[in-house]
Amino acid sequence: MLRKGDIVLVAVMILVVAAGYYIINLTRSSGDGAVAVIKLNNEVVKKIDLNSVAGTELVRLEGKYSNVIAVEKGRIRFQDADCPDRLCVNTGWISLRGETAVCLPNKAMIVIEGEDTATDGIAY
Amino acid sequence: MRTKSIIKIFFLLIVPLIVTSCSRGEEPHYSMQEFHMGTIITEKVYGENAEKAAREAMDKIVGIEGLMSLDAEGSEIKKLNDNSGKSWVELSPETIYVLEKSKEFSDLSGGTFDITVGPLVKAWGISTDNQRIPGDDELKNLVSLTDYNDLLIDKSSNRAMLKREGQMVDLGGIAKGYAADCAIEIYKKHGIKSAIINLGGNVKVLGSKPDGTPWKIGIQNPRAPIGKIVGIVEVTDKTVVSSGDYQRYFIEDSVRYHHIIDPRTGRPADSGLMGVTVITDSSIDADALSTAAFVLGLEKGMELVESLDGVEAVFIDVDKKIYVTDGLKGKFIFEDESKEYEYVEER
Repeated sequence: MLRKGDIVLVAVMILVVAAGYYIINLTRSSGDGAVAVIKLNNEVVKKIDLNSVAGTELVRLEGKYSNVIAVEKGRIRFQDADCPDRLCVNTGWISLRGETAVCLPNKAMIVIEGEDTATDGIAY
Repeated sequence: MRTKSIIKIFFLLIVPLIVTSCSRGEEPHYSMQEFHMGTIITEKVYGENAEKAAREAMDKIVGIEGLMSLDAEGSEIKKLNDNSGKSWVELSPETIYVLEKSKEFSDLSGGTFDITVGPLVKAWGISTDNQRIPGDDELKNLVSLTDYNDLLIDKSSNRAMLKREGQMVDLGGIAKGYAADCAIEIYKKHGIKSAIINLGGNVKVLGSKPDGTPWKIGIQNPRAPIGKIVGIVEVTDKTVVSSGDYQRYFIEDSVRYHHIIDPRTGRPADSGLMGVTVITDSSIDADALSTAAFVLGLEKGMELVESLDGVEAVFIDVDKKIYVTDGLKGKFIFEDESKEYEYVEER
């Protein structure tokens, strides 16, 4: 038979451990505090905290070609481009840590800072 | 006594909690990400000389691009192509090595991997300002110029020549693999034990991750943005290289024209596949083999890969079915967020 004190002790311990795991999981999940980095020709052009954006902001990149990047709260994309394949535009919105959108012809990229915890690299 | 054992259990529960929260503080490393060789190159190198090693590897890649690109001023491949049908040209041992490897894989793959597709690649111009659909006569003419047997190599004098005028080699299907192999050698030279390099989807890893676990490499979903995967392979000291119809392409009248040209037809390979990923030791091999397997299609591509020791592969066909080599069964982790793919374990 367990004494009353034991039961209380066990309950408190379970709560502490559960709370611990919960907090770790919270801080791990992506989304909050996402920062997008825009690079052109291997130089950082701009860093944007995606949560501080209100409405839609546009960023223009002029390289060999030109890109228009649209930024909204929590997400970012290549909205328009005059590059030959427009694969950058087709990529659509990105929002999660580690996600990347690229315009190879213009040597432009958008990366959401942070690591994708599920994989270490993508063979694309 | 009882209270003691309860406390013991508590500590058992809390240990993994402490370990997971501590391990989040990562091993010191150096990361770089730059555009070269027509793609993005990402390095992540761990350990003491990480920055030095990463920078030296990136410099090496810039050097390889200079030697082997089609149009860079001073490129050896440009020199070889400009002298096609005219004269032998002297090349660096590195370029000779890549040319020889290319021919080796042409032989092995029945000519489905062939670096002399240069004139065809140029005619299609996929992802350039000049992309277009060449006419039948033009393609027929250019297919007749495509033959790796016309690439003559004299290793003893480090010279090579293309037999016929108008012939061109294009190392787009193999140079990135070579560059990945070189990068890993540079890391090793600096005493690095743990590193990963990704050249536009051509991945190679050194050792395991700093925590001793294997690297988890995602296999791209061919119909989703980069980063969306259909599965994961766990690797140590290996390369993982994909070829597919989604890397460079344009769509006209709802037909997808992609960058992997079938040397036999002169047209983008139409083998019923969307992508092939090859996993093996050498990245130059994997680069050539993934292209060959993609052109060959599921049946013959699988046959080719299974005939080689230490080579595994993942095939994704146009029906969104995923097949793996025998050696990957039970190891390939099917993880398809899109819920559109089917993993076929038994063929």
